[in-house]
Amino acid sequence: MHLLRSPWKIGLGLVLPLIIYMVFGIIPIFISFYYSFMAWDGFSAMNFVGIENYVTAFQDSTFWLSLRNNILVVLASVLGQIPIGLGLALLLNRKIKGAKFFRTIGFLPVVISTVVISITWRMIYNSEQGLLNNLLETTGLGFLQQNWLGDPDSAIFAILITIVWQFVGLYFIIFLSALQTIPKELLEAAELDGAGEWHKIVHITLPSIRNVILVAIVLCISGSLKTFDLIYVMTQGGPAHSTEVMATYMYSETFEGLSYGYGSALSILILVFSLILILITTKVMGVKRA
Amino acid sequence: MMGNKAEPREMTAVDRDAVAKTKRKLRRTLVYIILILFTIVNAYPIFWMIMNAFKTSQDFSLNPFGLPAQWVFENFQDAWVTANIGTFFFNSVLVGAAAVLISIFSGALAAYFLSRFEFRGKKFIYGFLVIGLLIPIHATLVPMYILMQNLGILNTYWALIFPYVAFNLPITVFLLTSFMSSFPKEMEESAIMDGCGVFRIFWSIILPMTRPAIATAVIINFINNWNEFAFALVLISDEALQTLPLGLANFAGAYTTNYPAQMAGLTLVLVPTIIFYLLMEKQIVEGMTQGAVKG
Repeated sequence: MHLLRSPWKIGLGLVLPLIIYMVFGIIPIFISFYYSFMAWDGFSAMNFVGIENYVTAFQDSTFWLSLRNNILVVLASVLGQIPIGLGLALLLNRKIKGAKFFRTIGFLPVVISTVVISITWRMIYNSEQGLLNNLLETTGLGFLQQNWLGDPDSAIFAILITIVWQFVGLYFIIFLSALQTIPKELLEAAELDGAGEWHKIVHITLPSIRNVILVAIVLCISGSLKTFDLIYVMTQGGPAHSTEVMATYMYSETFEGLSYGYGSALSILILVFSLILILITTKVMGVKRA
Repeated sequence: MMGNKAEPREMTAVDRDAVAKTKRKLRRTLVYIILILFTIVNAYPIFWMIMNAFKTSQDFSLNPFGLPAQWVFENFQDAWVTANIGTFFFNSVLVGAAAVLISIFSGALAAYFLSRFEFRGKKFIYGFLVIGLLIPIHATLVPMYILMQNLGILNTYWALIFPYVAFNLPITVFLLTSFMSSFPKEMEESAIMDGCGVFRIFWSIILPMTRPAIATAVIINFINNWNEFAFALVLISDEALQTLPLGLANFAGAYTTNYPAQMAGLTLVLVPTIIFYLLMEKQIVEGMTQGAVKG
């Protein structure tokens, strides 16, 4: 590290990124906070209404429904993506023919744009021409056919499955790379002691990648809190708000319902909820981030 | 156990060996079955979509699972013309590339000062920049819309470029700072002796050495921009300025009944993505996972 004696040079170096980051990343949050105390349709004059928007939100059953769905998305991601990804990584972490192929295909959905994935899965779930119902029909399981996204009872689960599908590969590869950093000697020594496969996994493999698993869980939570595109494209939060998450609800309240004040309050609630959840998990699990 | 003892015991040892061998074989087969199943579940939806893009509507309804009876290309023509995919493609490349350029250049400059120099407030600035990783983008949609309106750049490329830079700076600064910190301190000493300026050292010594991390950062930035949907949805309504994800979503919404045409549109976007992925797999995967593995 060098001591720089000319502070203006540091300023010159940092000014551009800081300005862009502040103006388009941080300040909008404060603007949001300000508007969240207003009643405003986006055109006419604003009215200060105090905390009324927040009170409305807490009494709004759709808001609670969307919060519940947000929690479901987080749960499905953490309980689906992480264990499946870990299981697959443990399976592939050996000398195996075609390992590279399994990796490549495994990660593929992660790089595809969410919009493409959402439209594809919307077609898969379509009740008449969709892949899923067609498959059920041909395999003699026709009685299981559903209007997957059209029925409020099944829609959210159909969406959760798509979300798990989209990101399993990410955790699969994260865990696989972590597993490959475990020294071979450690496992060989255990083998000589007569440790079985299961014993090795529980007592050596998993403890060695403990920190990666914890970081992956935090990543998974913060990632799943960002869900918007997928639901917006697949169902727009419908039918009957059954797949609404806070972000889609905020979008429709603001830009379709033209309640900018209420939308801003919802934005702030999203932010607060996300940060609290991430803070709690990081604290509880004692993750040390670099 | 090398058996040179009584005959029956030797048999059991051999037997045990055989049992162990079959067991191992069985386990191996099971591993393969699971991995192949996973691969099918992962790849088949994509394969299904691409295959059906080459079918007539009739062929699709008769034979939805397999290869087309006859390969037709009209759907692609349809999609290309009606969906304006060429325009969206151009917009996505332009916005994506411009944002990457600004984000990498300014991010690298910031990372340089944050990693190679000691000054007051350094830790705070670094933390302030990196905490942006945790901000859920859509929490800023409403104010961003109002801000862009006030700045008079709503419905221009800039309305997307600025937020894309802002939301990619945290990961860029994070990656580049940790990479630049790993260089030994002596790195630029002789250059300082020679009287090179701070910016000269950045440009001709540090930046070239950071190339691998920059490549990773460029890829992550570009993929994020290429796939971004929420800002585009809110900030761009002019169809001539829409990016691919937004254009595709609108196109698919308008063509809900004609599946092969929808699929052709998606395929046109998907194929370049897949090719890019296969060509750059190592860098892409590394870029998208290294935060977690090293974290």
